[in-house]
Amino acid sequence: MSELLAVEGLCTNYGKIRILRDVSLRVGEGECVALLGLNGAGKTTTMRSILGLTPPRAGTVRYAGQTITGWPAYKVARLGVGYVPEGRRMFKDLSTLENLQLAENGRGGSWTIARVFEHLPKLAELRSRKSGRLSGGEQEMLAIGRALVANPRLILVDEPSQGLAPLIVEEVYHILGELKKSGVAILLVEQNALLALKMAERAYVLDSGSVVHEGPAAELAGDRDRIRSLMGMDVAPAN
Amino acid sequence: MIEHLAPQVFNGLVLGAFYAIVGIGLSLIMNLTGTINMAHGSFMTLAGYLAFTMVSRGTSFWFALVAAPLIAVIVGIVVERTLVRPLYKREPFYSLLMTFGLSLMAEEIYRLIWGANGVPFSPPPGLAGAASLGFMSFPKFRIFIVIVLVVAMVALALFLTRTRFGLRLRAAVQDTEMIAALGTNTQVLYAVNFGLGIFLAGIAGVLAAGMLGLAPTSGNALLMPAFVTVIIGGMGSLFGSIVGGLLIGMAISLTTLWIPAASEVSMYVLMALVLLVRPRGLFGEEGIFG
Repeated sequence: MSELLAVEGLCTNYGKIRILRDVSLRVGEGECVALLGLNGAGKTTTMRSILGLTPPRAGTVRYAGQTITGWPAYKVARLGVGYVPEGRRMFKDLSTLENLQLAENGRGGSWTIARVFEHLPKLAELRSRKSGRLSGGEQEMLAIGRALVANPRLILVDEPSQGLAPLIVEEVYHILGELKKSGVAILLVEQNALLALKMAERAYVLDSGSVVHEGPAAELAGDRDRIRSLMGMDVAPAN
Repeated sequence: MIEHLAPQVFNGLVLGAFYAIVGIGLSLIMNLTGTINMAHGSFMTLAGYLAFTMVSRGTSFWFALVAAPLIAVIVGIVVERTLVRPLYKREPFYSLLMTFGLSLMAEEIYRLIWGANGVPFSPPPGLAGAASLGFMSFPKFRIFIVIVLVVAMVALALFLTRTRFGLRLRAAVQDTEMIAALGTNTQVLYAVNFGLGIFLAGIAGVLAAGMLGLAPTSGNALLMPAFVTVIIGGMGSLFGSIVGGLLIGMAISLTTLWIPAASEVSMYVLMALVLLVRPRGLFGEEGIFG
């Protein structure tokens, strides 16, 4: 599998506090990689460093053969890196349709707003509703749809199941699964480890800002004791 | 009574339209970057003086009405890129001090170039004199002012709601980081948005010069009422600025009719009353600086 994203020795601080210590990870073309860990382990910061939202102190980020370390976020986005942030971060005063229009960037590609509506008919119905008035699940769909409209080769998805009812989580993961099938690479951050491991090919586990485990997802999924010891918590069964 | 009241109401409308347009410019800049632009009035004055210089050298008023604000916009964008931009990451206090300093400098520079005394700037012949409205007559230039300012506000509203750039601006006010992650260069948004605010101030500056005369301090005299406008209308709401501006314009204008000495203070009384009932202003939103 050819390499799409390669992060090498990433160190990132917030002020004087070091959040990431020497984080390295790889995502292949069309691959789904899970990034696991407890709250505060540095998962979101890793994403933010890749995206250029929190520039790293040291280390390199390579994407599609280009070194993009410390690039401004808009340039990274224009290369085809989509972001589905934790908490969705809707533009809540704007309508569903307007939220999607914001992501149109003229990069070209098969995803258009019409196609997003086709795949997520619920959003089409709600096209003129303010996104702040959508339910959590609808907002998550919209956040994914918004990332898709930009025709990404890689999307970074942060905690897509957070605060959603199990049935909705299933729906969200179904969509992520379809995305993966269509060839988009996914870096997936998830508290619910087993859920993410079911979808991912490989997994990294972060603890206190360092990678403490890396390996095939299936292997980790089958070894609950290992997950428990790595993540220091009891593992809920996947739903 | 009516022969006194009607012109004062109309004067209030003219004044209110000025406050509204300046207040909208302040709001645009404040909403996106948290910058309280104390130099806003200086850009008004700059556009006024530029128009004065152009017209006194034989350029047509109509050309000056567009060109002078545009030159002010260029100056504004240079100021934003070089002096204000480095302060965006700091608390609003820093840019407030910076722009306040700029406004003091600008005032002295205008004094050096155009003199300490006011200069006469009269509207073009076609807009001089009064028009009869049936029940009263009213200066044509003031009617023209209201029309131009209303057109400017409608144009701005269409720009913000109907264009892709306007959509990005509205989104960026809510979450600049997310709009960047979607591929928008926020630095361009900041610069254009600042320029937009200055353009509105510039148009108001040229028109105000024709109505109130032109002196180094003219713009700053309109700045305080414009801030009160934003506070009454509610921070973050452009529509609020329109309502706030008209309310103050009316308050000042009508107080002048009955208690001339209290005309200045009337807007502050109005502001206090509004804030007592609605602490965020009439149409204020939460967390502009959050």
